[in-house]
Order: sequence, then structure tokens, then C-alpha cells
Amino acid sequence: MMPARSALLSALAVAWAMSVCLGSASPAEAQKKGGTLTIVRPTDPVSLDPQLETTAPGAWVYFNMLEPLLTMDEKMQIRPALAASYEVLSPTKVRFKLRPNVKFHDGTPLNAAAVKFTFDRALRGTPPARWASLAGSLSGAEVVDDLTVDVMTREPYGPILRTLAMYCTGIVSPTAVQKMGPDFSRAPVGTGPFKFVEWKTNTHVILERNPDYWGDKAPLDRVIFKVVPEEGARMIALQTGDADMVLLPAPAQLAALKRDSKYTVHEVVGGRVVFAGMHAGLAPLDDVRVRTALLHAVDRKAILENILEGSAVPARGVLAPSVFGFKDMQLDKLYPFDRARAKALLAQAGWTPGPDGVLQKGGQKLSLSWLAARGRYPKDGEITEAIQAMFKEVGVEAKVQFLEWATVFTQFRGAQLTHHMFTLGWVTSNADADYSLYALFHSKQVPPTGWNTSRYANPRVDALVEQARRSMNQTEREKLYAEVQDILAKEMVWIPVYNTKEIVVTRAGVKGFTVHPVEYNLWLGKVWLDK
Amino acid sequence: MLTFIARRLLLAIPVLLGVVFVVMLTIELIPGDAVSLMLGEHATPEAVAKLRDYLGLDKPLLVRYVGYVGRVARGDLGRSIQQNRPVVDELADAWPATLELTAAALVIAAAFGIAAGVISAVWPNSAFDALARLGSLFGLSMPVFWTGLVLIVVFALWLPWMPVGGMGSPAHLVLPAVTLALPSLAMVARMTRSSVLDVLREDYVRTARAKGVAERLVVAKHALRNAAIPILTLLGLQAGQLMGGAVLTETVFAWPGLGRLMVKAIFARDYVLLQGAVLIFALAFVVINLAVDLAYGALDPRIARQG
Repeated sequence: MMPARSALLSALAVAWAMSVCLGSASPAEAQKKGGTLTIVRPTDPVSLDPQLETTAPGAWVYFNMLEPLLTMDEKMQIRPALAASYEVLSPTKVRFKLRPNVKFHDGTPLNAAAVKFTFDRALRGTPPARWASLAGSLSGAEVVDDLTVDVMTREPYGPILRTLAMYCTGIVSPTAVQKMGPDFSRAPVGTGPFKFVEWKTNTHVILERNPDYWGDKAPLDRVIFKVVPEEGARMIALQTGDADMVLLPAPAQLAALKRDSKYTVHEVVGGRVVFAGMHAGLAPLDDVRVRTALLHAVDRKAILENILEGSAVPARGVLAPSVFGFKDMQLDKLYPFDRARAKALLAQAGWTPGPDGVLQKGGQKLSLSWLAARGRYPKDGEITEAIQAMFKEVGVEAKVQFLEWATVFTQFRGAQLTHHMFTLGWVTSNADADYSLYALFHSKQVPPTGWNTSRYANPRVDALVEQARRSMNQTEREKLYAEVQDILAKEMVWIPVYNTKEIVVTRAGVKGFTVHPVEYNLWLGKVWLDK
Repeated sequence: MLTFIARRLLLAIPVLLGVVFVVMLTIELIPGDAVSLMLGEHATPEAVAKLRDYLGLDKPLLVRYVGYVGRVARGDLGRSIQQNRPVVDELADAWPATLELTAAALVIAAAFGIAAGVISAVWPNSAFDALARLGSLFGLSMPVFWTGLVLIVVFALWLPWMPVGGMGSPAHLVLPAVTLALPSLAMVARMTRSSVLDVLREDYVRTARAKGVAERLVVAKHALRNAAIPILTLLGLQAGQLMGGAVLTETVFAWPGLGRLMVKAIFARDYVLLQGAVLIFALAFVVINLAVDLAYGALDPRIARQG
């Protein structure tokens, strides 16, 4: 089974490699070369080295300078990047053939040793890379010959290819790292279509075209990433022409911008699901009837329309549709907004109306404590308040405690959670269901180990996610994850509210840009200016 | 004079030691952990423990305090936890921007505030006075993020004279400096008006007028110089206020100053960077106060003799 499958995989990989080389030569419009693209976004990077930075402000920039072995295209398909082809040798080993004649920006040749160096630095460095925790059981790399490298995992690990296609696994120049030391994080050296020019803290980062790029050379001369923290000021910069591209645009202005031919609004359903989580280990939420009643009590459509104003789509489950293994949980069918049904379910569970309108059972009020931050995810505070009000309509009291994110975060990471409910967002970083279903719903993944903040426990789900993690057969994995999501849909421990949209606004003269479902993958290698 | 300056600077040392201690204690007390925040949602507990050990965060507060003070005494402010970059470099990037913005705002506030105040005092209850008083009320009550955005809309979008934000040419400085200066300008104008009005009622002013000194000289030499002490005190306080209060202005205008750096450090619980930034602020306050005291002496020789 395995050899046949791996042969097929590598054949596919070669086909992809060829289509990448041949297919991109005929753009619809005459592409123009040159010019500077100015991008405004709210925050400065922490660092430009994935070793220290895995969040968007840094990733947006380094994604154009450092390339991983594989990459994920806009359709969420795995494509070769620095690897020309690969072959799954065993459940714990994948062999990569590197592209020949690729050079880092400092002239160092890309070879197997550079790949090994990058992984050693990330996984065995002190401290290890920020992305080491995202990489599951990835354990290292071994040099086979100059252009062949084996990547190993500690145990069979089905998501390995998607892990190696993550934006933050870019291969770095060993010579540059050794020469620059800690300064590497402010001026990284990779193989990408752009190379580093300058970073002025809290002002801008400038990149320029890499004239020796192995693939199609970038049409743009330069890219300037500017910091403009204020949302209003970012939108004005776009209007005055001080900026060509706005990241995190103001949602309220999108409708007007879409009507205006001077601008293009690029949007795609993203990877983050924002939800109201329920603590399934804490009475009365240990009763599935109470949990599902709460789902029926929430009018998600109203929240989407009135609070998010089109900047997000309704969540279709605990995963985003772009994630491998996603299955539509049919939430609107299973749990339509229906107060009568919510009340009936609560009555079934033994809750009767009390004197003040709040339900009660045995003298206890149906009162839920709720932990939330404000401003961590788009409109998180507002949706929390809206759901609180909707709960009240069915006789459930919610006491929300809004705290600053750092404080909320510490409580989430603690071994105990004393709140019934919490507002949280989750992005599946490697776009593989394992990453979420394992860390969020396996009974052993309760914090501080994992992120099972709901304290959900179901032996069948545990067995399924473990089996899916160890399987290298992607069709089988997809089936296993579908079953997990079917079970979760019956036992809901979340009220999934919305799925983020990735939205980027450009001036109409910016061509060749496609917004990616993974917010970090801001690819500028094909962007050109028609000015 | 030199001993006076030297003594004042020596007195700054316990102030700075205290400031560092209070900052470290505050960070210790507020919930939220720098390391787990830094490593993000997906960090394993082992990774968190490893990094905490690496940064020395597992040591008790007092040990860290003594260690920090010792390093600062040798001129080493440490490395930013989040950025892994020398704090000195971070501060060196942000400090000139803050200084430029604060100085420009202070000059605007002083020049226009004193001028408006003096004119109002010389012609009290005139049309100008009424307008200036109304204007200063406006300047005091409008929040800077609102004024800032309105100025951007008017002078960058409708009349494309000024850049939207950022730092670079002198034109970049105009809008943020004016925005930051407005509340201080209003306060200086009101203080100058009342203080000059008081002095203009003094006997020696009547004497000066009686002996035929030109009105312009009466105001400039006799009145303003004697009214200057409270104005100077206010300007000294405002200088500190402007420096620390520039965060919102810096945010609206994308100005890469210390205020934003500090806010970032607080949210990331990057205590090393925060301590460095607070230290710089404290030092700046000491220097400003010293400068104000020296200026008192220059204005009023009686104070200098006591000093």
C-alpha cells in the first residue's frame, strides 16, 4: 500500500513542479515591470525571523523572503517550493529532492545541509523556535546527498507535508545566521523573490526584487511595509495614494470601497473560527441538553449581519472550510435559531422559570460565568454581549468578565478553568484538521498541555484523532475526521459564531494579487503595478 | 551653580532606583506571563519552561532587581524579551522621534500660547479675547485622536498639503505637532492671560506707564518677565506631559516614538524593554525639572541666590 501511494505522491509532485514552471507564463494582461508597492498595516513585526515570530506582522514580510520546502496555494493544495519533488519513504520519513542551482540572497547555495541547519536551529536551539510547537512530531532532517534531504518525525505523523508547507518553516542561509548572530532576526537571508533592504522600527520595512530568483522574477522593484496603527488613518492613506494596499481594512468602509472602481477589495474565507466555548466539565454545562439549548438560543444571522457587517461568514463547524478534513456540521439545520426549542430543551433538563425570569433548578439559578477579552478577535466583545442578551431571552443569565488578553490568556493556560463560558478564536495554522481536532478535543489535551479548554472527553473521539494523526493515508484521515466532526456536532461544546474572512484592499492599479485563505501567506511575487 | 547641578543630578540616582523597583514590582503583580504570551496559543509547556529559564524569569524579583541595577550601572540595559534586540537600540530608534515631536509641540504651545495670552490680557474682553478663550476651551476639551483624525481628513485628504502619517520630512511633523500641542497651547494661553492680567494691575506697572515707558515695553519687560514664573512652571510640567502623553498622537500619525514602544512593551509583558523606556522617561523628567529650576534663576536672580 505504502510504496504505491508514495510513488503516486511523488509523481504528482513532479507534475506540479512542471506546471509551476510552465504554466505561469501567460498572464491575462500585459504585465508591467517596476514600481514600488506601499503596504500599510497596523503593527510592526516582532522579528523577521520565524525562529522568533510566527504572528502576522512578521510573517507577512518574511513570507516573501524565506521559502519553505513546500507551499500551500490559494486553493489549499500543497505545491513544491524549494523542494522539486518528494517521496514518503515511511510513516516517519519523507525524502525531498531540492531544486538545483538555487542561491540564498547572500550567494550561499541552497543544499541539504541548509535544510538540516534550519531544522536543527528551530527544533534543537535554545530556546527552540516559536514554530517548533506548531510542528507536531517533526524531529529533524538528515542529509542524504547535496540536494537530497530526509525529514523525520518522532512517530507516524499524517500532517507532515502540510506542516512543512507552513509559512514559518522557511529555509534560512546558514552562513548568514552564523555571521550575523542575533542580528539575523532583523535582516533575514533566504531564497525568496524579494530580499531585505531596511527595517526602521515602528516605521517601515523595505524589500527589493531578488534579481537572481530561481523562479519567475518579481515584477515589483520594491515593497514598503509601513506601520499605520490607526484604522481611519490607514484608509485615508489608501485614498490619498500614500498606500497601494491596506491590510486589516476598516470593515465599515468595505461596502463603499467595493462600489468604487478606484479600489479592489480582495476577500476569501479565512482559517479562523471565533466561538463561544462551553466548559463541558462544569455543571450545568455537563448536560448536553443545556448546551444544545444554548445553541438554539443564539441568532447567529443577526450577529453576522449587524455586528460583523459582512466582514465574516457564519462558522460552519469547529473548523474552517479551507482546512484539510473539514466537514460541514450543518449547524443551521441541526441548531436553528429557535427560542421555543431552547426553552423546551432546558425544561427537559429540569430547569423551571424562577421569580426573576431566570431559570432555576433546586433553588439554583441558571447563571453562567463568562471569561472574555475585548479586541483580541474582530468584534469579540460585541458578540459576547449579544449572546449574553440572547441567553437572557431564554432565561439564562450570563455574567461576563472582560479582562485584557494577557490576563485572559493566563487563565486559559491554567490547569483549572472556573468559568462556564469563554470567547476564543482558533486558527488551524498548518491547515490540517489534526492541528485543531487533536489539540482542542482530545481528552488528554486539557491545558496546560493542549487547548481542550472545554474539557471535552469522549473515548471514541480520542481514538479517532489518534488514529488519524498516525495515518499517512489522506483519504482515510479525511474519513476519520468526518466521524469526529459528526460526534462533535451531536455533543456541541462550542457555539461557533463566525469564520474570519481575509480581506485586503488595494488601489485598482495593483494587479496580480490573490488573497490567501491563510492570513500569513501574503504572496507578492506576482504582484505588478498598472500606474 | 555647578555644585547645584551636580547635587541635583546625584539626587536623581535614588529616584531612578525607586522608579525601576516600582516598575518591576508592578509587572510582577499584574497577571499575564511574558513567556506564554510570546510563544502564543500553541506553545508546549516544555517550551514555555525552557524559555523562562533562558530569560532568567524564574528567579525571585529581588535577585532580578539587583542584577538589573548592576547591569544598568555598567551601561547595559539588557535585551528586549520579545524582540531579542538590545534595549539601547530600541530606545535609540524611538527616542529621537519622541524628542522631535515633544520639542516641536512645546515650541508651538509656548509661542502661540504666550502670544495669545498676552494679547488677551492687554485687550481683555475684546473680540480677540473672547475668541481666544473659546478656542482654548475647545483645545482643552477635544481628545487628540479626534483632532488628529480631523486634521488628517482636512489637510491630507481634502487639501492634499500634508502627508497622512509617518516620519521623514519637516512636513510630516506639522500635523502631529499641532495636534499634540493644542491642549497645552490652550492651557498656556489661559495661564498667560491671567498671570499677565495680574501683573498689569501691579503698582510698578502703573509707575512704568506714569514715567512714560512705551506700552510695548511695559508689557514685554515689566509685565511678561514678572508673569513668567508660573508660565515657565506650567511649560515644565507640560514638557513631561507631552512626552508621556504622546501615545495617542503617535498612534494616529504613525509616529515611531517611545510612547508606542512602551504600550507595545506593556501588552507583550516585555519587562526589560519597559524598564529601559521608563528609565529614560524618568531621566528626562529629572533633566526637565533641572532646566526649569535653572531658568527660574535666570528670570529671577533672587531664586538663584537661594539655590
